[in-house]
Parts: sequence; C-alpha cells; structure tokens
Amino acid sequence: MKLAKHSRFHLDAVLGSALLLAFLLMALAVPLLPLYDPYEQDLMASLAEPLATSATRTYWLGGDALGRDYLSRLSLAARVSLGISVAAVGISLVMGVALGLIAGFFRGPVEAAIMGLGDLQLAIPRVLLLIASAAVFGSSIGMLTLLLGLTSWVTYGRLARAMALSLREREFVLAAITQGASSQWNIRKHLLPNVAPNMAIIASFEFGQVVVLEASLSYLGLGVQPPLPSLGLMINEGQLYLEINPWISILPGLVIFALVAGSQFVSQRFTPESRGDGGLSRVPTV
Amino acid sequence: MMSFVAKRVLQAGLTIAGVLTVGFILIRAAGDPVALLLPENATVEDAARMRAALGLDLPLWRQYLSFMADALRGDLGMSFRQQTSAVGLVLERLPATMELAFAAFAIVILAFGLDLMLRIAGSERLRKVVLWVALTRQAIPTFWFGLLLILLFSVTLRWLPALGRGTPAHLVLPAFTLGTYELALYLRLLEASFREQETHDYVRTAYAKGLGRARVMLREILPNVLLPMVTLAGLNLGVLLGGTVVTETVFSWPGVGRLIVQAVSQRDYPVVVAGVLMTSLIFVVLNLVVDLLYAVLDPRVRLA
Repeated sequence: MKLAKHSRFHLDAVLGSALLLAFLLMALAVPLLPLYDPYEQDLMASLAEPLATSATRTYWLGGDALGRDYLSRLSLAARVSLGISVAAVGISLVMGVALGLIAGFFRGPVEAAIMGLGDLQLAIPRVLLLIASAAVFGSSIGMLTLLLGLTSWVTYGRLARAMALSLREREFVLAAITQGASSQWNIRKHLLPNVAPNMAIIASFEFGQVVVLEASLSYLGLGVQPPLPSLGLMINEGQLYLEINPWISILPGLVIFALVAGSQFVSQRFTPESRGDGGLSRVPTV
Repeated sequence: MMSFVAKRVLQAGLTIAGVLTVGFILIRAAGDPVALLLPENATVEDAARMRAALGLDLPLWRQYLSFMADALRGDLGMSFRQQTSAVGLVLERLPATMELAFAAFAIVILAFGLDLMLRIAGSERLRKVVLWVALTRQAIPTFWFGLLLILLFSVTLRWLPALGRGTPAHLVLPAFTLGTYELALYLRLLEASFREQETHDYVRTAYAKGLGRARVMLREILPNVLLPMVTLAGLNLGVLLGGTVVTETVFSWPGVGRLIVQAVSQRDYPVVVAGVLMTSLIFVVLNLVVDLLYAVLDPRVRLA
C-alpha cells in the first residue's frame, strides 16, 4: 500500500466519511432535536403518508401502524442501531486485535488455541451463530451488542496475527527484546501501532456489515424488541402494510443502504485492488 | 496427495467435532427443558422422572459424551413442539433450501456469462455499468432488497407471486434476491484475475498464434481464472447459507432457514440447534470437497 496514492483527494472516500460522520452526529443529537414523542400514539395518523397534517401538527414522514410519528421513530431507530453497531465494532476490534497480536507474538499452544477458536467460529455461518445464541441467551440490547461483537472478531484476529508473525522477526522488535523489553511493552509499543491502520480499514468495512447483521436480526424478531424501534424492526413492521404505505419499510432501508454504502466507500478506497485476492479478505456477511 | 487428503479430512473432522460441541453448549445454555415440556399441573416427581429419562441427571461430561455419540448416529434430540426427531424436521425442509441455493447459483452463473460476453465484445463501459449495479446491490441488506422486489413485481406490477413455494415463478424473486447479493464480490475477483492473467506470456503467445479474442478468453484464460473462483465460492458458501435464512423469511419460503426462525419463536431449541449444526456441517463438508477438488485441479496445492 503506497502512501502517496492515498494522500490524494478522493471524492468517494470523502463522501463516504462525510455520510458516516453526518449520521453519527445526527444519532448523537437525536435527544436535542425538536422531535415529537416517538411512543405517543394517534390513531388518526395511523399509516399516514409523509407530509400528512392533522389539526395541530405535521407528520413530516407520516405515521406508523399505531400512528406514532414516523420521523421521531426513524431518528430513534437510527440512534439505536448505530449505537449497537458502533459498540459491537468496538468490542470485536479490541478483542480481535488483542487475540491476534497475542497469538502472533507468543506463538505455540496459545496461537493454536486462539486461531482454532477462530476457525471453528468461521465454520458456523455468522448469521446462524447469532440467531442460535440470541435465541438461547435472549435479545436485550446489551446481549445483542455483545453477541455481535463476540462473533465478529475473527477477521481482525487473523490479519493481526499474520502481521504480528512478520513484525516479531523485525530488527526493532528483536533489538527491544535484547535490551530487556517485556512482551507486553513490545506488543503495545511496537506491534499495535504497526497493525492499527489496517485494523481501522477492516473496522470501517465491518461497520457496514454489523449494521446489516443487527438489522437482519431485528428484522427476524431476534434483535431489538418493541416498543423500542430499530432499523430492521421497522422494516419488519412495515412489511404488513406494503400495499397501503410502502414508505414504512422503504425509509429505514434507505438509511441502512446509506450507512453500508458509506462504509464501503471508505474501506474500498484504502484497500488495494491489486493485492491479487480481488478483495477476498472482505467477505460480506448476510 | 494422500497425506494432503488425510490431513484435510482430519481437519474437517475436528471442525465438525468443534461445531457439535458448540451445539451442546447452546443446548445446555438454553436451560432446563423439563419446565418447557411438562404440563402445568406436573408434580416434582414427574419432573425428576422426565429429567432421568432425558439423561439430565447425569454429570455434565456424561451428557456431553452421549450428546456426541447420538450426534454421530444422526440424532440431535427430539423437537419440543412436534414429537419427531429434530434432524428429521430439518431434512424435510432441506430440499426447498437446496432448490433456492441452486437457483441463486444459477443467477451468479448467468451474470458470469453476461460479463464474459461483454468482455469478448470489448464493451468496457457496459461491464462497468454491470459492476456498479452489483456494487450497489451489495450495499442493500438482503431482506430489504427482497421487500423492494415484492413491492415492484408483486404489489405494483403483479407479475410474480410474492410468497410461498410451488411453481417456478415462485422461485424467481427469492433466487434473484439471494443470487445477486455477492455478485459484486465475484465480478471483482473475475476482473482482478483476468487482468492478472492477461499479463502472462501464454496469452501473448495465443494472440500471436492468431487466435481470436473469444478463443483466447474462453479456452486459454478462463480455466486459470476459474480456480480462485472455486475457492471464493467455497468460502462464501457460509454467507449464502446464512443468506437463505433471511431470504426464506422474507418470501415465506419453506426451507431450513424459516424452520430455524420459527423454532426460535417457539423456543424449540433442539430444532434451532439441529438446523444450525446441519447447515454448518454442509458448509464444512462442501469446503472439504472444494479443497480436494482444488488439489485435483491444481498440482501446486497438493505438493505444497
């Protein structure tokens, strides 16, 4: 990966980052926005079309089946889904980098155990593993976040280990070891900074994947539980009313689409096409 | 060659044992099934008798061993809701899922053909358009894409049925939904491999011999390009199998995925675990087949 190539201005990467940043900021700002109560029901506004007005107010994006203000619900849903996804990516990132570096630095039985666990996890399709564990351990928001994080560390772990394997033989690491530096110090000061950029790239791609996974689980009824909204759950709720008001299912999907596209724009710009594996390392998930 | 096969088979066996262990952990973590199984007015003695009958009074390691032994005989327990074997229920649904997976695969092959045709015709711009469409599709969650297709082709145009299985028309929308999800990935690998192969001497020689563009592409380059494709297809089979769960739910397709999701809502854990385990086993075994096939096709693999 040549640095000069990436220091240039790239419209798609900038657009992707801007999109993601805008969504994150909006999600953070949701409680501050002048929105209506996302739980208040008004049967007159049930399945109202976007821009519908009642005597007292305007439903900018219409209402859902229970007549709750759709814009408020969608904003809250985006906040919920983004919160879960960001936290899950954080969990898998920390876990994957830590396990990968430990495996690659110490080698031996530790490495065999960690990578064996990773291989085993890859043998069970991620969605299925998530469905089964969500069914068994329940689907509170905390559990959902934890499960999403725990099932997504392998991608980071594998690359971190591979990089650690070569880094540990480099002169600056060997020099530090001969001078009595501890393994912990070496991992923290020498390995971590060197793998960080690549881990960030994986995280930017994985973010989109985790958004889709969370949405899929919630769509299947195994993720976020009503009355709390989430993007996947809202699509599910709207499915019954496709013929009456398709917007209910279309709008949350557009938000997911924007998030995933943003995440792909950012990660693709920094992943060299010419690596020969044609993006093999970036296998989508659902 | 033999040692490669033996090593690979052993590895697959270990993975299967690991997958089954995960299944055991999940089943045990789901809690005491006796409370779910017995009627409301059952006595403590009834519960104890049932626990003994199910082997739940044994120490954990004995339970684990008997779970593994049963699993090797093809028994993953009884469904809580229907008094039949969980494996049987999954097997009943397997043909529908296979049908969907094969149809989705056919969509991928069709797209390949299109890409090759455009490649031979030399229309780079059209190929770019196809790739962009595929990339856009990849950013769309499968279940939402399915819904959009239903909205367009079933609700608005009324051309195709939205739900269920039966006629070939029922297969079109789910297969398209599932088959297009990973298309971008394959098209990009095809592009990268073609670009890489075109730099080799044998391609230049083929052109120098006076062979036509179509012949060079199809007879000389394509066989070399197909190898990495086979690997990617094997690796991504898990994604395809996972994708069937969501796709089947959207289109009410009566396959294994829908069975799993329904079993979850009924707390029928043996069926959930049986569905997940059997799907994973198919995945592991097919990957083994792909790897062995690869060794047959490419001598470098078995010698390494």
